[in-house]
This record gives sequence, C-alpha cells and structure tokens, in this order.
Amino acid sequence: MIEREVKIVNRAGLHTRPAAALVKIASKFNSEVTLIKGDFAINAKSIIGVMTLAAEKGSRLIVQVDGDDENTAIDEICKLFDSGFGED
Amino acid sequence: MINNVKKIEFNNKTKATQSILRGIPSSPGLVHGKAVVLEPESIILPDEKIETKNIHEELDRLETAIRDLIQEFVHALSKVKDDAKNVASVLESDLMILTDETFLKKIRNKIEECFSAENAIVQEFDHQIHFLLKSNDHILRERANELDHIKERLISVLRNRCIFYGSGKNSIVIAQSLTPTDIVNFKEAGALGFITEVGGITSHSSILARSYEIPEVIGIKEATSIIKDNDKIILDGYTGSITVNPTKKSVSAYVAKKQKEQEHKKQLGELAKLKAVTTDGKQIRLMANINVSEDIETALIYGAEGVGLVRSEQLIISKNSIPSEEEQFNWFKSLADSIFPEFVTIRAFDIGSDKYSEGMPKHEQNPALGFRGIRFLLHRVDIFKEQIRAILRVSKNKNIRLMLPLITCYNEIEKTKKIIEECKKELSKENIPFDNNLPLGIMIETPAAAILSEKIAPFIDFFSIGTNDLTQYTLAVDRTNEYVSSIYDSFHPTVLSLIKLTSDAANKHNIPVSVCGELAGHAAATSLLIGLGITELSVSPSMLLELKKRVRETSYQDSKKLADEILKIANCEDVRQKLSFTNE
Repeated sequence: MIEREVKIVNRAGLHTRPAAALVKIASKFNSEVTLIKGDFAINAKSIIGVMTLAAEKGSRLIVQVDGDDENTAIDEICKLFDSGFGED
Repeated sequence: MINNVKKIEFNNKTKATQSILRGIPSSPGLVHGKAVVLEPESIILPDEKIETKNIHEELDRLETAIRDLIQEFVHALSKVKDDAKNVASVLESDLMILTDETFLKKIRNKIEECFSAENAIVQEFDHQIHFLLKSNDHILRERANELDHIKERLISVLRNRCIFYGSGKNSIVIAQSLTPTDIVNFKEAGALGFITEVGGITSHSSILARSYEIPEVIGIKEATSIIKDNDKIILDGYTGSITVNPTKKSVSAYVAKKQKEQEHKKQLGELAKLKAVTTDGKQIRLMANINVSEDIETALIYGAEGVGLVRSEQLIISKNSIPSEEEQFNWFKSLADSIFPEFVTIRAFDIGSDKYSEGMPKHEQNPALGFRGIRFLLHRVDIFKEQIRAILRVSKNKNIRLMLPLITCYNEIEKTKKIIEECKKELSKENIPFDNNLPLGIMIETPAAAILSEKIAPFIDFFSIGTNDLTQYTLAVDRTNEYVSSIYDSFHPTVLSLIKLTSDAANKHNIPVSVCGELAGHAAATSLLIGLGITELSVSPSMLLELKKRVRETSYQDSKKLADEILKIANCEDVRQKLSFTNE
C-alpha cells in the first residue's frame, strides 16, 4: 500500500465534473483507492463518496492506493489533482 | 343568436385574472405559451418488512428499475450533440450515481435485511441526502437535490410510472423540480420554457437550460398548484417574472420587449455566440460595466462574459444614504444570479466628498486628492465590513470578485485582507456560506498603483485599470475644468506607459488585467490595448457588440508591434496620428 498527499488547486474544488473524472480514472485500476480528508475516508471509485468529501480549493487530501497496479494508479491520480482536473 | 350567447358565456367563464409571480431567472430569454403542469410524485411507503422468500424478487425489481433508468439516461445522453460537452458531462455524472457500486451495494444490503426495494432506496438515498444537506458548501447542498431527483425517478420507474415528455411540445413546463434528463427530453419534444418550484442556478438542470438557450425561472413556490394546465404564461428569463393569464396590456408589453430582443439578436447575428478572439487566436474577455440593474439585461443579450465593474456607490448616490448589508446583498445577488456562471466584479464604495456629504469632511480643498475610495473605507470600517459581508454572502456560487478603489499603498491591501478575514470568521460562526477564495483585485487608477503593480501583483488576484482617473491623476488635470480639459488625454504617452507597466506585471504573475474606463470602448484603442497586453475589456453593455467585432478583426502580433512603436513616441499628437485618428 502506498499513499501520497495532494492539494486541490482548481478553483471550484472537487465538485461534480472533477469528481466524475477522478472516479473514472480510479475505476480503471484493480487497486483499492481511498481518499482521506481529516478523519474522513471514502472509496474513490464511488461518485457519491467523492461528492460527500466536499474538498474545496486549497484543501489537502491523502490518496491511498492498495493493489497490484498501485504505482501506476497513484501516479495517474495525483497527476489529475496537480493539473487541476484540466479546469481553469 | 343562441350560439353567440353561449360563446360569450364560455369566454367569461374561462377568463382568468392575471397574476404575476417572481422567481430567480436561471436561463435568460423571453417566451410565451400554454402551461403543462407536472404533478409532483408522492412517496408514501408502507413500514412493514417483506418476507425473506421475497428478497430475491425485490432485488430483481431493483435491478430492473436501475437498468431501465440507466437506459433512459443513456438515451438522453445519445441525443446530446458532440459540441455540448457541458450537457454531456452533467448527464454522465447522474449516470455515474446509478452505476456507483459502493452505493448500490448498500441498497441491496438493505433489501437483504427484508426492506422493500422502495424502502431500501429511500433509506439509502435519504442517508446521503441528509449528509449533503448538513454541508456548509451550498453547491453540495444542491447536489442533494439532484440525488433527490434520482431517488424520485427510481421510485417512479419501480411503480411503472413514466413522464409523457411529448406533452411539453410548444408548452411551458411547470414542475416541482426537473432532472437533467427531463430537460433533455422536454427540449427534444419542443418545450419552450421551464418553471420550477425548487432548484438553484448552479444546479445541473439550470446549466442544461442555459446551454440549450431555453428560458427558465426557478424558485416559484407552489408553482404546480398556482398554475393550472393550459394557463397562458409569459416567462421572462431575464428578470425572473412569470405572468399567468396576462391582460392585454401585459401581452402588448411582452410583444414590444420580444420585438426588441429579436431586433438585438438579428443585429448580433452569429456574433453574440462567437468568442472575442483575435485573428491569430488570442482570447480577450469582454465584460460589461453596470450602473443600474437594467444594464444586466442588455449585458446578457449582448453576450457579456461577466461584469467587469459594478459601481456599488450607485446605491449610495441613488438613495443618498449608506445602504444596509441586506440591501446590498439583495442587489448584488440579483446581478450575480442573472449572469451566472459568468462572474461579477463588485467595486467597493468609491465615494468622496464631491459625491456624498453625510459623515464626510465639509470643506476639502481637493476632494479628488482627499478622503475617498479605499481611504474612506478603511476609516469607516463599520461601513466597509457591512459591504464585505454582503459581498461574501453573495459569493457562495463562486462568481464574485471584489475590487478596491484608489489604492496607492500596499498596506491598504493588507488592512483590507484582515477585515475580509474577520468577516469570514463571523460568517462561518453564523453558518453562512461564502467563497473562501473570493478573488480580490485592485483598481489601477493612480500612477502610484501602476508603478507599484509589479510589487503587489503576488498578493492580488487581478488588476483593473480605470483609465479616466489614471489620466486625471497622471496629468494632474480635471477634465471637467474647461480651462485645462484640453490637456486631458488618455492616449498620452505617460498614461500608455503606466498601462504597459501594469499589464507587464499582471502577465508576469499570470493574473488577469482589465481596462474598465472609457478607453476600453474607444475605437482607436482596441488594437493598442490588446498589444499592450490587456486581457479583459469592460465597457457599457451597448458597446459590447462593436467591440467584439473589432477584436475579431485585430491581429495580436500586429497589435504588439503597434504598441511597441507607440510606446517610443513622446508627443501626444504623434500618437494620434499613428493611430490614425485626430479627434475623440
């Protein structure tokens, strides 16, 4: 299992479109993908889970990936966060 | 004879009285038609549990309902054209909820605990909805509404009820709420407009209505019981007003407004939808300056990409007293809601003793150099705080920018930021939502601010150059004074150098820089300003069309060369000659 800290850089935060993009990417992999904000952890393959995380711009999250393809998975997921989900 | 009498009686009976309802304009446009009212779905469920032997049957019902609804959503998605990416991504996100395995598993588990499919759906959806509703983020609370829609649609499908979308043809659809799928299907059927009881301007359904350019008004309480099927409706998506069974007078007012709208559209041709982009691909944001509420309608028709300047002091000037936080909130909110998702830039009160007397110095020798703009605001923190609170409260949809007038020192920005932080703390305590990243910008209207721009850019989100005041303060000339007004010249080499200085600083630090003074709309200045590196222009709404035309005819590369040459010129006359115009 590996984990990495990411920061939300796009202005609108982890709202619907970025959430959908994240779920799509996370679902590509076999690994379990968990997002942790404070003491709140959710399954990153669940759109409702990601929605309820309510992550605003500037908030920091832990991405935790566990499985056979964890290395590629964490790279792709973190890239998505860093690029601001391709928004503004 | 007898027939005639009957006819008149019939007419009298059906002649309903006019009523006017006010809601939130969520998609601009003007339309009339007959009403089609959708009855809200009632969800009343029996409490008792199912028997263990029925679990399989209930699980099957659930799967079938989900499969059918997914099919309905996919079908709607297939009708969305490729260019409407906005629309597609909205429907996709609804689809993702129906395929969220983690979530569906919870519903299935509930059925295995001997709850009926309906009961399981309601319990699990309500659990998530309840959670989202508790959030401080109002966009998340809106997502709760969408979950609620999906829940209702699932229950409808389980009960084999379906909406007959064909009824929306040539009609105005009245509903408690509409799902994005409903909007797509009603649009396909040829609906003219939408009116809903609940919903927010940031909801997916409103986003869809806007991208389809179908007028919509939301937040009309009890619309489905006040409005009856076949009532005549005039829907004004600019103002949010709904006229039910209009009088002749209202109809002729509507016809006049509709004609005006169509003339505007004809005049605009395709231009309203086209981007303001130079021949070599540089995008310029064209925005509107707003003095009074009516300006926003014109701004919408002409396709403004936001409001570059709201002169908030108009509120003070029109009522000759400082407006309350609530009055300010209401005005700003009506502006911000009408133009959403584009943003509104609100300039904090810019008053001096020449514009307003209450609580101002009595005899200032030089009001223009005196107690005004940010200096007044930082002295009257009580007034400033109320304004910032009003602006923060409006900012919850993240389409507000705050702009400070007459900045000359860095510490004015620092002090303002402290006040903003205090206001944020207060609002958080009161559980009032706001945009925690509210962009803060400053007016560049003094040489001091322009020269300082490079040093303050890192602490600021945008610059806006007020060329009228910048000219006045740079050239030390009052343009209303006839003895010296001929010296007043916004094309003066010093003014242009200060604009260049500011836009260089902005572009280096990657923040937007706009011009909101008269120079922005000047025909001879468009190419020059683009060449100087300006990224946004804000003008009075009626000038937007012409300006867009000019931008689209301008080459950025040529403009840069032009600007470089002009910056070398010392004499004002030569600047004018180079720009090939002689008089303003």
